Amino acid sequence: MKIYFELNGVPQYPEVEPGESLLQLLRRLGMKSVKEGCGTGDCGACTVLVDGRAVRSCIAFAARAQGKRIITLEGLGTVNDPHPLQEAFLDAGAVQCGFCTPGMILVAYELLSRHPDPTPEEVRTAIVGNLCRCTGYRKIVDAVMLAAEWKREGRWR
Amino acid sequence: MRLTGVRRFHWARDVEEALSLLDAYHGRGALLAGGVDLGRSARTDLEGLIDIMGIGLSYVREEDGRLRIGTTTTLTEILEHPAARRYLHGALVEVLCRVAVPPLRNMATLGGAVVSAHPWADIPTALVALGAEARWEGEREEHALVEELYRQPFRAVFRRAVLTEIALPPWNGAFAFEKLSRSAGDIALLNAACGVGIQDGKIAWARVAVGATPARAERLTWLEEALQGEAPSDTLWRQVQEEVERRAKVGDDRRASAAWRRSVAGVVVRRAVARAAERAAR
Repeated sequence: MKIYFELNGVPQYPEVEPGESLLQLLRRLGMKSVKEGCGTGDCGACTVLVDGRAVRSCIAFAARAQGKRIITLEGLGTVNDPHPLQEAFLDAGAVQCGFCTPGMILVAYELLSRHPDPTPEEVRTAIVGNLCRCTGYRKIVDAVMLAAEWKREGRWR
Repeated sequence: MRLTGVRRFHWARDVEEALSLLDAYHGRGALLAGGVDLGRSARTDLEGLIDIMGIGLSYVREEDGRLRIGTTTTLTEILEHPAARRYLHGALVEVLCRVAVPPLRNMATLGGAVVSAHPWADIPTALVALGAEARWEGEREEHALVEELYRQPFRAVFRRAVLTEIALPPWNGAFAFEKLSRSAGDIALLNAACGVGIQDGKIAWARVAVGATPARAERLTWLEEALQGEAPSDTLWRQVQEEVERRAKVGDDRRASAAWRRSVAGVVVRRAVARAAERAAR
């Protein structure tokens, strides 16, 4: 069946299978930042934004994208024009293998969209469901706090 | 995604259409709300999914002191709704911010939590303690207290019905929720919820539920009766802890042993009761 949705600002009209996951659809459409980790919604590597809310795309049905606005990491920034959150992750040294990074950044994006001045504790609460097995969480929290500071200074586009 | 047998996906427009589609599949169709359970499911018998997020059941309303919540309302929407945040001095916030993690709360619905009714789930424990009422539509409109619903073969009921609303009654008192889990966002190894009303320095009423024992939430009516008329004190809380430890119905599962659960049940219930009483006395 054919559905319509907006992916990173671009209209899409893909054919989807009724039991297909949003993760499968997005990767099929070339969004390779969307990672499959656990496949059960527990690790957070597949996180994307649906109408501004972070959701687990591995357990979300692709058909549910109908009429929605979906943002993946590709929609935030590029190598040549990174989003301030991506720059903050680099500045804070919050990336090692990078597998969890797209999910971490999108969860942080949702948090800062709603609470631009979080405490480190609020950042930890926001990322509690996103697992990182190599960087450790301290630098990730530092990166989100740095991005929040930049946002308050008006450095976000 | 493991639902390999699914051939059709429907976006139902109202309760009637959802019921009609469900009926047409003769047990091989499923209602899809937040999808947290179905998205993880490996069921091979399902042929059709019926999306019910657009059938008008996403709402939070205050009416006659009751808080009425449509069953497709997500946990995040409840957490952010002013009326839900106000209810019983933040009772729902205390529970829901400890359920799962933010991206799952963005997906999961209140109705899904009630119908799935995982024995380790926190929401059924809180709803049983709060005296919540469930409403559903099948062949006719029906309603029952959530604790009574769980004594029925409710899974069979919701193979032919749509859970439409959870209503929370007004209480003159305070509430507290306790949960033991290995880490934040993890599922409960034991949970307890307690509502208490204080009058003239004594406990006028108490409602206590314990869940993840590892069975689903049950009220401790013997404790509720014992607490009535007692004045809150450290001695009373010590007695609560000892009695619950002695009488709690606990068991083993792969997450914790019965012996461990027994050793912590008294503490968890004591904390919930004492904290609710302290808040009610303010």
